[in-house]
Amino acid sequence: MKSLVGRPVRMVTAAVALSLLAVGCGNGGDSGKTADGKTIVKVAVWDYAKTPEFKALIEGFEAKNPDIDVQPVDILAADYSKKVTTMLAGGDNTDVLTMKNVTDYARYGTRGQLQSLTADADKLDKAKYSGLDSFDLKGDYYALPYRQDFWVLFYNKDLVKKSDADLSKLTWPDYASLAKELTTGSGSSKVYGTYHQTWRSVVQATAAAQTGGDLLSGDYGFFKKQYETAVDLQKAGAAMPFSTAKSQQVTYDAMFTTRKTAMVPMGTWLAARLLQAKAEGKNDVNWGMAPLPQTTANGKAVTFGSPTAFAVNKKARNSAAAKKFVLWASGPEGAAAIAKVGVVPSYTDDAVLKTFFGVKGMPADALSKKAMTPDTVKLEMPVSPKSSDIDQILTEEHELVMSGEKSIDKGISEMESRVKSEVE
Amino acid sequence: MTKIDGAAALKRRRRRTALVGWSFILPNLVGFAALTLVPVGATLLLAFTDWNSYDTPHWIGFDNFQRMWDNDNFWTALSNTAWYAAGHIPLTMAASLGLAVLLNQKLRGVAFFRTAFFFPYITSLVAVAVVWNMLFSPDAGPVNQLLRAVGVAHPPGWTTDTDWALPAVVITSVWRDMGYYMVLYLAGLQAIPAELYEAARVDGAGPWKRFWHVTVPSLRPTTFFVLVMLTVSSFKVFDLVQVMTEGGPGRSTLVLSQLIFREGITQGRFGYSSAISLVLFLIVLIITVTQFRFQRRSER
Repeated sequence: MKSLVGRPVRMVTAAVALSLLAVGCGNGGDSGKTADGKTIVKVAVWDYAKTPEFKALIEGFEAKNPDIDVQPVDILAADYSKKVTTMLAGGDNTDVLTMKNVTDYARYGTRGQLQSLTADADKLDKAKYSGLDSFDLKGDYYALPYRQDFWVLFYNKDLVKKSDADLSKLTWPDYASLAKELTTGSGSSKVYGTYHQTWRSVVQATAAAQTGGDLLSGDYGFFKKQYETAVDLQKAGAAMPFSTAKSQQVTYDAMFTTRKTAMVPMGTWLAARLLQAKAEGKNDVNWGMAPLPQTTANGKAVTFGSPTAFAVNKKARNSAAAKKFVLWASGPEGAAAIAKVGVVPSYTDDAVLKTFFGVKGMPADALSKKAMTPDTVKLEMPVSPKSSDIDQILTEEHELVMSGEKSIDKGISEMESRVKSEVE
Repeated sequence: MTKIDGAAALKRRRRRTALVGWSFILPNLVGFAALTLVPVGATLLLAFTDWNSYDTPHWIGFDNFQRMWDNDNFWTALSNTAWYAAGHIPLTMAASLGLAVLLNQKLRGVAFFRTAFFFPYITSLVAVAVVWNMLFSPDAGPVNQLLRAVGVAHPPGWTTDTDWALPAVVITSVWRDMGYYMVLYLAGLQAIPAELYEAARVDGAGPWKRFWHVTVPSLRPTTFFVLVMLTVSSFKVFDLVQVMTEGGPGRSTLVLSQLIFREGITQGRFGYSSAISLVLFLIVLIITVTQFRFQRRSER
């Protein structure tokens, strides 16, 4: 009898002991402190090795806050949005999340996955921040921007020199004829006049910003002219065909640094990549920036862009330290740190701009300086609960128009009818 | 006294046997319950809610199903999935049976060929998709270069063409899966008694007749198993499409599993995506039950 009672009791005791041990271990590994007692702040970032501002921010912050250890969680840029969405849905406790675009931000924010930063945002000198408004979700802020990218025209100075075009006030028709003029060679030695990345923004966001059209409206007649330019450039052989770029997963930075294209309309983030590639000896292109070509030739430079921000995860392990990092990175000190690596910060004053153009290898000619100070920067995609559904539809139809599967008119009418019928 | 003692001992022994039994299946059962059974059960309930993974779910009855019925994306995905299955199932069966028959002969190096044809199945799916994407590249890809060399002036655009993207995915998936089903068919072929072939030969049946009247009927159980497995896997297809085309160009290769992923994981509409999952489950269930019915009838 004794042994029969004894065995289960012993087994239960052993089980309890084991589970306590397991729980103990779990807590030990999950305390959010390093072995030497520093508070760990994990930051979700993309392509850490190729995106120099993350390193600049992390190192700058750690130098000021020796008691905090900032650890990047590196995610492939192309998978970033999906990965972070999945992480958040799974209750991940990474402290700081980089908001790669405003659409995703709106989704995380409205779902209650981020901590409120409204009180902190209200204390900022809003005139000095560009892109802060984009994070206003009905009066609440869940992220603070640290950089503000916008689109300019990158060009290869040696290739464009042959033409006498004035890049400071190009219209889209001027740009198209310049691209055709600069196209040379054939086969593997072909140099395109320009390269259009396969993103829908290249056409659609440009059209929206410069014509005043609304990407969420469901009326897309304002895309037409821009699509005509883009499709015509492909047909003329002055831009790489969409289907080739898509199926071969061509990247804009490779096209530009290997001199396969004379121009490329792209976001200002390309500047930092070109500088970094130069530092690594992978890019010896003599490049410059010009304002994005315009729909109306009235001397105003209208472009689009989107700010990038840091947010604190609602389930962050070390909220206080995480918030400290976010405030530092989005403020003047963070701005100075990233301007030093050629990235355009959200916070700008004269000192920051001076730092930016003082970077070794940064083109400091008058045209590049003009490109960096556009008159208007519109938001690439307006924030609304409908944004991501509309984005999906516009992307799908963009693919069909650019690959020649649908005519421009058919594509636009399909976008309109789908947005009206599918988005609630 | 002794009688009661005996009964108690028996009871104890029974309980002990049951416990031992449970302990054997427990490791598997815990995993299955936690990772499959509970989520599947949850899906069943979530399909009738508006859950977004964060807020409290609300019971919304059949709203999700109504929305699905009205939504063009669902019908596009359903029709694409059906087309994929209609291509993938017969082609994979034919290819794997053909390979199995070829490799069931006494050839020199037959083990090498069997291994070679099985290889695609154990290759990383992402690698398969990336390499086939290159092969199908419209301008520089070897597939179209070959087609041009044999005189096709305008070869298809494959993954960049709405009409050819789905066939491209089907071809890739057949290539990938045929090795696995070939192994199943090989096992089936080796179980056919040699006497049957001898008898057929004595009766004057040629190779073609022997194949149709001996091999094919004898393989019926294998064929049925292969058919059911292929049907289920075709309707569940996700990974290959996601890596090769991401549902594009446009929506030409959007399949149901992808729509479930997009609505659930990307858009956070877990209620709606659960409803689509439920419909997908019912479709597969109905088809499989029908297949079993037919199988039983033809066995009679």
